[in-house]
Amino acid sequence: MKHGVSAFLVAIAVGGVASILLPFLVSGYVDGNRQSASPSYVTSGKCSASQMSFLAGAKEYFGIYPASVRQPIAFPHKIHVKNGMPCETCHAGVDEGQQAAIPGAAVCMTCHQVIATNKPEIKKLASYYRKGEEVPWRRVYWFYPSAHVDFWHGPHIRAGVECQSCHGDMRKETVAVRKAGLNMGFCVNCHRSRHVSTDCTTCHY
Amino acid sequence: MDRRTFLKLSSLGGATAALSACDKSGKLRGQMIRFIPEERLVPGVAIWKTSLCRQCCSGCGLEVRVMEGEAVVTRHGQRGLMQMGLAKKLEGNPEHPVNRGKLCARGHAGLQVTYNPDRIRFPLRRTGPRGSGQYRQVGWDEAVTELSTRLGSISSQGKAGSVAFLTRALRDQRGVLVQRFLAAYGAPPAVRFEFFDDAVLRRANYLSFGRYQLPTFDLARANYVISFGADFLSTWNSVVAQNRGYGAMRQGRPGLRGKFVQVEARMSPTGANADEWVYAKPGSEGLLAVSLAQVMLSERLRPAEAAREAGARIEGWTQGLSDYSPEKVQDQTGVAAARIRRLARELAAHRPAVAIVAGVPLAQTNGLANALAVNALNALLDAVENPGGIFFTPRPPLAYLPSVEESSSAKSLAERILNNPVPIEALLVYEANPVFASPATWHVRETLEKIPFIASFGSFIDETSILADLILPDHSHLESWVDHVPESGSTTAVASVAAPAMLPLHHTRAMPDVLLDVAHRLGPKLDPVESALPWKSYQEMLQSAFEPLRNHAGSVKAQKADDFWSQVQQNGGWWSEQSDPPPKAPATAERSATVVKVAQPELDGDARDYPFNFLPYASQQFGDGSHANLPWMQEMPDVISTAMWSTWVEINPRTAERLSIRQGDLVEVRSQHGTLQAPALLAPGIAPDVVAMPVGQGHEQYGRYASGRGANPIKILCARVEPETGALAWAATRVNIRRVGTRGKLVLFGGALRESPRNYRYR
Amino acid sequence: MAPAKEQNQKAFRLKRRNWGMAVDEDRCTGCEACVVACHAENNIATVGEEQAARGRAMHWIRIERYYEGTFPDIKVKYQPVLCQQCDNAPCEAVCPTYASYHNAEGLNAQIYNRCIGTRYCANACPYEDRYFNFVNPAWDEPLNLQLNPDVSVRSVGIMEKCTFCIQRIRAAEINAEKEKRQLKDGEFNPACVQSCPTEALVFGDLDDPESRVSRLAKSNRAAKLLPDLGTKPKVTYLRRGSWYDEQNT
Repeated sequence: MKHGVSAFLVAIAVGGVASILLPFLVSGYVDGNRQSASPSYVTSGKCSASQMSFLAGAKEYFGIYPASVRQPIAFPHKIHVKNGMPCETCHAGVDEGQQAAIPGAAVCMTCHQVIATNKPEIKKLASYYRKGEEVPWRRVYWFYPSAHVDFWHGPHIRAGVECQSCHGDMRKETVAVRKAGLNMGFCVNCHRSRHVSTDCTTCHY
Repeated sequence: MDRRTFLKLSSLGGATAALSACDKSGKLRGQMIRFIPEERLVPGVAIWKTSLCRQCCSGCGLEVRVMEGEAVVTRHGQRGLMQMGLAKKLEGNPEHPVNRGKLCARGHAGLQVTYNPDRIRFPLRRTGPRGSGQYRQVGWDEAVTELSTRLGSISSQGKAGSVAFLTRALRDQRGVLVQRFLAAYGAPPAVRFEFFDDAVLRRANYLSFGRYQLPTFDLARANYVISFGADFLSTWNSVVAQNRGYGAMRQGRPGLRGKFVQVEARMSPTGANADEWVYAKPGSEGLLAVSLAQVMLSERLRPAEAAREAGARIEGWTQGLSDYSPEKVQDQTGVAAARIRRLARELAAHRPAVAIVAGVPLAQTNGLANALAVNALNALLDAVENPGGIFFTPRPPLAYLPSVEESSSAKSLAERILNNPVPIEALLVYEANPVFASPATWHVRETLEKIPFIASFGSFIDETSILADLILPDHSHLESWVDHVPESGSTTAVASVAAPAMLPLHHTRAMPDVLLDVAHRLGPKLDPVESALPWKSYQEMLQSAFEPLRNHAGSVKAQKADDFWSQVQQNGGWWSEQSDPPPKAPATAERSATVVKVAQPELDGDARDYPFNFLPYASQQFGDGSHANLPWMQEMPDVISTAMWSTWVEINPRTAERLSIRQGDLVEVRSQHGTLQAPALLAPGIAPDVVAMPVGQGHEQYGRYASGRGANPIKILCARVEPETGALAWAATRVNIRRVGTRGKLVLFGGALRESPRNYRYR
Repeated sequence: MAPAKEQNQKAFRLKRRNWGMAVDEDRCTGCEACVVACHAENNIATVGEEQAARGRAMHWIRIERYYEGTFPDIKVKYQPVLCQQCDNAPCEAVCPTYASYHNAEGLNAQIYNRCIGTRYCANACPYEDRYFNFVNPAWDEPLNLQLNPDVSVRSVGIMEKCTFCIQRIRAAEINAEKEKRQLKDGEFNPACVQSCPTEALVFGDLDDPESRVSRLAKSNRAAKLLPDLGTKPKVTYLRRGSWYDEQNT
């Protein structure tokens, strides 16, 4: 009996792998890119669903996200939180839509026109702003495209989920680092404990 | 590379992955500077902005879904990334009287105009020989200076009259602006060129009803609809408005379902919906219409006086049309006498009934007579300006109204450019492509090549703009101020207007603003520039054009001028509360003297050498070919043939069998004026002595998706015209066909089993 | 920090729906607005001529055209065909990875993460309405700027199909939940339904006896596609009426 089950599973696995590989091997899995020499006054280039190096592909496959990213300015979250600024002040729209906004230079400069203008990091910020450039912040929290996840902040905040449940205690942090793994287990555990839908299409579509 | 590919590679024992093209640009992106956004949007939250569709002349109202995204843009001569509002989806504006929240396939694909990779990104100056496509980038100041210097020197030589402006029918303030610019400069009015231009029907409506415009159909209240060749549910006139009415006619009234009869020789997507599809010989539709009237008159089903003015246009009307009895016309039309009688009785018994005519019947040498015959039938059925009949859209009381084109495209192009005794010194082209959309016998390219200076406002390199010396690319319709006065599709007066839905993606400028800039630079050389063109920008012009509407009862009620203007923009326009019909043109001696004899058309080519009547038709995807560069349209399966990315020749299966032609075989179509090759499509809904071809493919130059694809049926047409309007009789060509090979390029979505190599019909 | 005031209130729950569609063949004119609207909404890739010639074009909704008779007595019927969201779906039973499954709202869902591309489901689907990404979808820049951020961009080797625009369902639900109210009939529509100029397509809750779609589903013109297969489709087709039908819906 047990052997029968495992043989069946092996058969499924072999069949599954074979069915993935066969089309690749038989051809057909050619990249649909038609390279054409277009003149310089029109746009060239292709954008495709997945566009990474082998290493990045491997990371995506195993669901490994970088824990920390190097930011252009060493932004201290803890100072801002300590001064009594709620998260929504800068991460505007977080209660409305899917993503939270990453504040632009213009938002920072509303205060930093006058506050702490002599600090080296603020000088960096001001120099971006003077050139009419945005601070090239890098995203800390995101999902790989192959996660096929559509996450909305709004409903979570309305349900009373604290920001720190997923993003860590920002009272102690300088630049943000990815605290929670934010993998599917993390999400489903919380959904289960709060008795909300764990149907796949709640998040994956 | 993604997890899937990784899985594949790792199970194959590992391989080195090459960086894809996109990866390189991804790296480039990292090095690019980022501009401070010019607008702030909440990320992930969609906002809706009103706009207007410019994909055809219907002028449907749009709602654009705008969301924040990152785009590569050019600002101050520098390329960089910017967070900006990007149009993500187009929907119909639910308030707009023409489309009421609905949108057609071509309207949806308007997005791909804005994001088209083949859009010209900045002004260009020709460096290579004409037609080579070799250009170099110039700044806007240099480009506008060059244009105004050219125009200035031509004007100084006293040759202002030799400047021509070539465009399509502009039913918006752009039309007014162009007109005023040309008048102030001293040049003749703009030449308007469109392949499917409806000049015959406008002329007929003027003669029959005193209205120089296309009709609006009240299908929703009609009980019986008979259409003579009109593809009104797919390509002709105000398609969305007509579809809305059609749906209501079928199932919008409990217990009452209207009947729809289509008369044509090649089953169109519209004809396929008919309850009764009637084959009539192409060009004989007028005879059939008059014969239907004859039955109603002789059987006293309708009074002859009901037709009034429209009846008086038809020879023999007052005598009861005895020459057109069903028995007399049955051989000429191919419709049996008994059937004509039955249809006539049904029409008279199930009023409100309405007749529609367009397409093939009007593109004949007897086109005007066919149109007048159907107009008379409508009048006899009491369908003119009555519920369930035809209406004419009133014009809104704007400060300036675009003039109505009275001449046909073919006639104005011939008189003003092709056969003009005064050589053209400079040509300005905007949204017209006559090199593509004209028969080879007209020699348009050869004539244009001789013009010393051509400037184009086009967004794309097409067959006409590739001849240009200077290209000043326009914004897309989502990036610019847009306005429109619909000619048809609404029973109330409508003036649509909308602000840009998104910031420009490329280094482009709106045509009207460029023209105003040129006018101000020319300054003293223009007649009174201050009074003719007093506006600094197109936006200012629109505001002053819409100002008088504030004093009329309409959809926007605001006391203050600024409130009114912002509300009009928010709503996507202004529409009147009244639905009074527009004023009739006064009866003239010329009009009352017009009496036509309805007869058979003359076809080009001997029936023995050229046994098939060749019918080009507006394609569902590309219209007249101007949407062939949109990939969604290329891959949208044609509803009748299910073909994608292709052209084809529709042939009756029995004819094909006789000529040993199989589906997908390469067929040569030969007229007296040229030949073309295209794959055969065996279509059960086409007459055995007719072959048909969609217009739209066969572009030599129109970006990566359209260039070098298929064949252009317009090229082999004869130059015959409808004599009174001078409109091209594009359905009057006879051709012969023969099989020349087995492998035509015909890509069908339906019919073939997926992934079955035996069914490939490709190369 | 996040507002916590709503925590104590009794949790508001949305009613469970049973989404379905009605397609009125009498209204459909084959204008194909739905086809392009679907492409625009759902990030469906344009595969190009060569792939299309190999039968790899993807149209989650398509218009089928049927001829009847021979010239000149010829009749045509148009039939928009999309995923029928079967309650007894053949595609679900054959999926070895449960990528194709049935959810509580009656949707026949496709979970791309689970899909390993066996294509069994496409073979099982009697309506031929599942589409496989044979090539990696690519957009010529800047056409990619149009992509709808609410919808996944699929990659090569994944099966995809009509979702009844689930992203619109979710957005409407999140909105309604925020306002603490139930969804109204016709409040939102899938892209095809929204654009349909003749209103041939109607979408709504089949469990709500008052909704337009459930009333149309009871029409005497109502029929299902391939009913003898027992798939229990949730798309109802309304047959073409005859002239001056005595009874309409």
